[in-house]
Amino acid sequence: MDLAARLGRCQLLVVTGKGGVGKTAVAASLGRLLAAAGRRVLVLEVDPRENVHQMLAVAPSGGAIVAAGPRLWVQNLKPGQVLDEIVRERLKVEMLARRVLASPIYEQFSAGAPGLKELAILGHALRLLRRAAPAGHAGDGGWHAADGGWHAAATAPALDVVVLDAPATGHGVRLLMAPRLVSEVIGSGPFGALAGELAGFVADPARCGIVVVTQAEEMPVEEALELRQALADQLGRQPELLVVNGLFPPLPAGLDGPAAAEPPDALAALLAPERRQARAKAGAARGKKASRAAAGDAPEAPRAAAAAVAHTPPTSEVLSFWRHRRLLNERELERLANWWEGPRVELPQLALERGPALTAALQRLLAAALAVSGGAGAKGGGPAPGGASPGAVGA
Amino acid sequence: MSPLADGSPLLVCVGAGGVGKTTLAAAMGVASARAGRDTLVMTFDPSLRLKDALGVGEEAREREVRVDLEADGELYASLLDARLTFDRLIERYAPDPAARQRVLGNRFYQHLSGSLGGILEYMAVERLFEVAASGRYQQVVLDTPPTRQALDFLEAPARIVGFLDSGALRVALRPWFDAGGRLKATSRLGGLGRRAERFLDEVVGLDLLRDMAEFFQAFSPLFAGFRERASQVEELLRSPRTCFVLVAGPGEERIADTLFFARRLQQAGYRLGPIVVNRVHPEPAEPRWLAPPLPVPAAPPALPAPPKISSGPGQLDGVDLLAWLGERDRRGLVELARLLSDDQPLVDLPLRAEEPTDLASLADLGAELEERAADWRRYLRREA
Repeated sequence: MDLAARLGRCQLLVVTGKGGVGKTAVAASLGRLLAAAGRRVLVLEVDPRENVHQMLAVAPSGGAIVAAGPRLWVQNLKPGQVLDEIVRERLKVEMLARRVLASPIYEQFSAGAPGLKELAILGHALRLLRRAAPAGHAGDGGWHAADGGWHAAATAPALDVVVLDAPATGHGVRLLMAPRLVSEVIGSGPFGALAGELAGFVADPARCGIVVVTQAEEMPVEEALELRQALADQLGRQPELLVVNGLFPPLPAGLDGPAAAEPPDALAALLAPERRQARAKAGAARGKKASRAAAGDAPEAPRAAAAAVAHTPPTSEVLSFWRHRRLLNERELERLANWWEGPRVELPQLALERGPALTAALQRLLAAALAVSGGAGAKGGGPAPGGASPGAVGA
Repeated sequence: MSPLADGSPLLVCVGAGGVGKTTLAAAMGVASARAGRDTLVMTFDPSLRLKDALGVGEEAREREVRVDLEADGELYASLLDARLTFDRLIERYAPDPAARQRVLGNRFYQHLSGSLGGILEYMAVERLFEVAASGRYQQVVLDTPPTRQALDFLEAPARIVGFLDSGALRVALRPWFDAGGRLKATSRLGGLGRRAERFLDEVVGLDLLRDMAEFFQAFSPLFAGFRERASQVEELLRSPRTCFVLVAGPGEERIADTLFFARRLQQAGYRLGPIVVNRVHPEPAEPRWLAPPLPVPAAPPALPAPPKISSGPGQLDGVDLLAWLGERDRRGLVELARLLSDDQPLVDLPLRAEEPTDLASLADLGAELEERAADWRRYLRREA
């Protein structure tokens, strides 16, 4: 089955990985991708400083659900707010609720109680999804009986998928583990019931997909492998997808082969005219794409930043640096190929600032990579990468 | 002289995730040991990655491990493991074996001490206190969890003291349950109390409350000592000799993050040393790339195949991509320098072709950082 379709069938997609690897960009483009495929998608963020809205060119959410395109919404969630809502909803008497909310015990409890915030985040996602389900959906416990009182949910659109831009690895694991931990400690009451339900939800790959984002550098790869291990040990499950982001471009022939010591100036000189040729070709290809996009349903691709970069003759240092970065990437890709079972896609480092153009470009690349990736590693870097084999590197 | 080289007893490395903070902390530790100081590098990163770069293994979770470095000062590394530190704390401070067993055997404790929100920060404070009190090290380099959590960490001592003073603990310690394990009637509070109780029961269930109350009761002797230790750590963090090093990523999109953190630190009264913008892509015109030249073919093929340049937006070949990244990072630095006051040290550290993964390259990185921090105005590419 097409991997994109398989991901789209999940109700919740948790996107996690080490800080700085492009989690938010991947979450936003995945959201766009699924929305373009006809699913109704909410990209949910839990960072106090918002980023997702910037990737999708909409106003900051400020806690509300904001429309970001056809079938696409964005929300920045404050877990504390969700907990406060629960208190208000269950205590009903405003005076009493205010007293509880103002009390130091509640403050300490909501800030420090283990797993509570994580539960609030996942519970919020689940309840938004439930709103889309037909009335009288089975399995509604006491938790859902009070849905109507929650104004955040009351204004929510009907959704098929929530893409959660989750906290970085260590905290991401904590998020996924929270339901089981809490359900083991709290056996009864609405929180216990919710925790139990969420534990089942998170452990079920058919309903909850986990997308791990990394870069092909030593530390992020290490952390991705640790995360995979933690998921296997503690939840007994695998991630659905590994996204290797920010790859340096493949090396030109002549730089990628077995090498001997020699100053590379000669090669630099050799490369220069050929790069000009290639650039001209790339420009022509871009033109063709743009006209196709105008005629078809593909989103209009913004012009590349390439034009903005003044042409610089490649010095030997620059070529050497390119080679270093790429070889580092390839080494780490090989390590991933050895240790990571399951679907894996690769995305190139793009010369685009954080924003909608980057999201659109990543969406296109992700779509291409997922289409050819039925379960093996796949390239998203090149045009029509068909036939990529697992662990194929340095094409 | 740069604060990095003047022997501050405590260097605190803060910043967002993924900017190379842990590696820089390790590099500063190596540099400090090479300058003749007995040094400890502590990391509280839950992913425990410092060990990779320093070549120390899992044993660093349990104790400070000597790093095999030839230098005038000795270098040690330690990794924080919340559960282990917590267990050890209980071993040490529990008044008697029975009390110790009560805590260690508590269900609440068993399930949650490793994942309790804020527990890592709490434990960090304990560990830092232990280390500072031991007086074994002339310099401690402290790595912290990423941005939000690092703020949590700094606020942890004050928050815990606040908690101890708030009366919440008194309530938590109130004997809520009778000998039979049933919730005591709180008739004194009247209808309000009964409602609150019913709410608690409904929301979290009485089992949890019972475990929590028991836990806090068993734990109370430890809290008593913690108050004092927390204020001492707070004092240490605010000492004018303690130096905070803010590590940031390059690029304009990170500027807001960097400024936010710098202001928070200064407003809170901590001494902010240099802001280090790490992994800056060099400009193509800049001759120094910090990359040892890689061997290339002695006899390049006469007619090499065209390089694979993809056609999508933003997809460039390596040469143009590096030029674009260099230009992006330069703009970011210029903008950041403009927004900071003139006397705020701002250090740009070029991206290396290879991340330091051994002691030699860590030492090299540490030396580079010290050199640039000592003379930051000369190095900073303030103007294009």
